[in-house]
Amino acid sequence: MKKKRRQYLMLTIPAILLLALFLGVPLVNGIRVSLYKWNGYSQNMRFIGIENFVKAFQDKLFFKTLGNTMIYGFGSTLFQNILGLSTALLLNQKFKGRNAVRAILYMPIMISGFIMGQILYFFVQMDGGVFNEMLGWFGIAPVYWTETGLKATIVCMIANSWQYMGICMILYLAGLQGIPDMYREAARLDGAGPMQVFRHVTLPLLIPSIISAVVLNLIGGFKMYDVIVALTGGGPSRGSLSLSYYIQLLYFQDEKAGYASAVGVIMFFVILVITIPINEFLKRREVEY
Amino acid sequence: MKVKAKAPASLNKSKWWYYLLAIVFVLSYLLPIYVLLNLSVRTVQTMSETLPLPRVFNWNNYERAIANKDVWMGFINSIIIAAVTIVLEITVSALAAYGVARSNSWLTRSIRTINMLIMMIPGIALLVGTYGLMVKLGMVNSLLGLALLSGTGGIPGTMFMYVSFVISIPQALDEAASIDGAGVIRTFFRIILPQLKAITVTRVIMTAVGSWNNYLMPMFLLTNKAKYTIILVIKAVFAGSNGVKDVPYACATCAIGLLPIILLYLFLQRFIIEGQLDSSVK
Repeated sequence: MKKKRRQYLMLTIPAILLLALFLGVPLVNGIRVSLYKWNGYSQNMRFIGIENFVKAFQDKLFFKTLGNTMIYGFGSTLFQNILGLSTALLLNQKFKGRNAVRAILYMPIMISGFIMGQILYFFVQMDGGVFNEMLGWFGIAPVYWTETGLKATIVCMIANSWQYMGICMILYLAGLQGIPDMYREAARLDGAGPMQVFRHVTLPLLIPSIISAVVLNLIGGFKMYDVIVALTGGGPSRGSLSLSYYIQLLYFQDEKAGYASAVGVIMFFVILVITIPINEFLKRREVEY
Repeated sequence: MKVKAKAPASLNKSKWWYYLLAIVFVLSYLLPIYVLLNLSVRTVQTMSETLPLPRVFNWNNYERAIANKDVWMGFINSIIIAAVTIVLEITVSALAAYGVARSNSWLTRSIRTINMLIMMIPGIALLVGTYGLMVKLGMVNSLLGLALLSGTGGIPGTMFMYVSFVISIPQALDEAASIDGAGVIRTFFRIILPQLKAITVTRVIMTAVGSWNNYLMPMFLLTNKAKYTIILVIKAVFAGSNGVKDVPYACATCAIGLLPIILLYLFLQRFIIEGQLDSSVK
């Protein structure tokens, strides 16, 4: 039996080797670089200890970007869960063309975030954008949708939520289909209204779906990158940057590889510190049936 | 009895508003595609209007996009990367998942957590380290190198999916095979893999889509124009040449670039969604 177990573990060797090379090495290397002052290409690397981390705490743009990343993470999670749950509840009803609707709402997930960002740029453009054209029909003056950093951030967050809402929708749909009809039927026979049935029967039984949806969306939102590149380019004046985007600019544009790595390390811990407790908190509310 | 009779009646009454809601959602999800197609048949002079159809359809944009060799090169490069990524990621992950699920160690229990931790590592934070590694391995501007990199990136997630499916296959099947003298690897390919057909097809499709749409790593690793993926080609066309932007032409290129993935989706949507539904219950 022991020999058998060793054989089973042998099967994981290719995966472990690949992960060690393409994930482990960059990870260790990235952490190492975060302790150096380095421009990313020269031979000249100077060890400066935790100075890069100290620098982050004095960097105004870092905090602004961190704030934006929170908007991306929590905002997208909120929007996607609301949209996903509503569409899942809708699609859980029987009506004609239900599968076609489901397919259309899931479609944007198939399209590259970068390309979708390019397309959605035509919507929020100041001159000749789709939204402003629509406002024009009602005689409303064009709106500069991405005028300030905050506005641009919210536009990117909504675009991201709109595109990837389907992931939540499917998670909730799977959850809803897994709830036996008799539970809701029983509650209804006991005289519960539709809102009560939803609040006290459906929602608690959906907790596993909610956990997956929230955790996936948080991680996805915190890491947002390509939609922002295509939609606002991080502007105006670096006002809608996410941490991912900031790291990329620091590395390739500002040539601060050491600082970029340090921000990356901080970002990982920020995601960790936020996501794990939320996961645990939701897990404790899980119901067995 | 009274309650039972009431329920279907209220359901029928509220049905019109399912349709209304569905139509609103569908329109909001089709509008971007419509705008893209509409812009793609306009000219630079008439592109200030995005919603009404143009008076004259300018098909010339499509002719130019199809004649653009970069587009076809982009398709070929994207297909090569996707194919290598799929084969690598699926085989390695499924094999490892089988090993992990059957060895019944602490790893099986903690694989969900490990997967989540790896997912939390921002891909871009690894950029500094990854770029350095790829330079050392001589894999900059190498399609194969990129496929190795993104295939490996997908291993944790794919493995996680497979583990939960392998666990649901009764171990008695393996034992029967092993009594018949089959080794672990043969058991995997003969007995286990056929049981995993559904999830494998789903993973193949999702890996293909992910690889096709990948933007970040190709953007930094493929700097030679001959190695551009289709996404990078579209990006280059949108950026314009010599500072001159031709948005309608870029839209036409974009529409052609999206076509394979949209066609794939149209034919397989039922399968893709059912697969996602299935794997999210696990």
